[in-house]
Amino acid sequence: MLFEKVLYPFDMRKACLGVKPYILKLKEAGCKEVHMLYVLLPSEWGFVAKEEYDSEDKIEALRGAIDDGYVDGLIRIFRKMKEVAQEFEEKGIKTRVVMIPGELDETIGYYVEEYGIKLVALGVTDESLSFFRVGKVLDIIKAVDSPVLVVKSPEEDGCQQLQ
Amino acid sequence: MPLFEKTLYSTDFSPLAEVALDYVKKLKEAGEKEVVVVHVVDDLSIELPEGADLLNEKELYKILPEVDQEYVTSLIERLEAVKKILESEGLSVKLYLKYGNIPKQIVEVAKKEKVKLIVMGAHGKGLLTEILLGSVSTDVIRNADCPVLIVKRREEE
Repeated sequence: MLFEKVLYPFDMRKACLGVKPYILKLKEAGCKEVHMLYVLLPSEWGFVAKEEYDSEDKIEALRGAIDDGYVDGLIRIFRKMKEVAQEFEEKGIKTRVVMIPGELDETIGYYVEEYGIKLVALGVTDESLSFFRVGKVLDIIKAVDSPVLVVKSPEEDGCQQLQ
Repeated sequence: MPLFEKTLYSTDFSPLAEVALDYVKKLKEAGEKEVVVVHVVDDLSIELPEGADLLNEKELYKILPEVDQEYVTSLIERLEAVKKILESEGLSVKLYLKYGNIPKQIVEVAKKEKVKLIVMGAHGKGLLTEILLGSVSTDVIRNADCPVLIVKRREEE
């Protein structure tokens, strides 16, 4: 089952949506589960306890520990991911939405191993593959044993933030 | 949507390339109909023009030293074997045997053939060295117009 379980890293930029049609199409080749993962980078969110935040309740429980504005931001991202997840669910693909604090490559590497992911589907911008930035994408490829599907979007569209 | 209709399978005939071939076959279930199989040679004993077509330019073949002729013949046989495997899966197959810079030729064939996806293997071990030196898969990801599926398996396994 080569495409059974797909990890879909989500970063709230339009580029990450570029890979979505490919995942939907892979249902015909056996994709049954999609795991949408948002990695909470320490530089963006400060200190967040290392847990898997896969419900709004868990995110709400962070109030008091981190700034309310951050919590509101996390909930907004979580809801956006749920909205995208709905499209997979409607096509009969089981979907998990989760946020995990950590470094991008390490967290993706951990998740692939922990959940037996068969494919990582990455939506990236042209810019992220430029000479000075390609390292981040390569770090992800290095961090996982599973195949990686890289789908590029033009910089001008891909860098825009999702609402 | 024809997202996987025409794919390019880049092979160096390594065990990892064989793993990648399984993915190429599997994609038939997602609408794949045609596969362009590419092997790029960069280690002949004489220099040929960049992008030389070793499958169709018969004159080039004639100027090769005997040892290279035998090598190229063996590569053609291996490409034909891959073609047979894919055709037995009901896929239409086109072969390329090119000479030159490996990532450059893969990307050029991908553009010429207007493929929807490139499937290729990438070794995990020693990737740092490859990054510094410019690996084949990195260059293909950066320069291809279409998505790239990198198939990995760590060598220590």
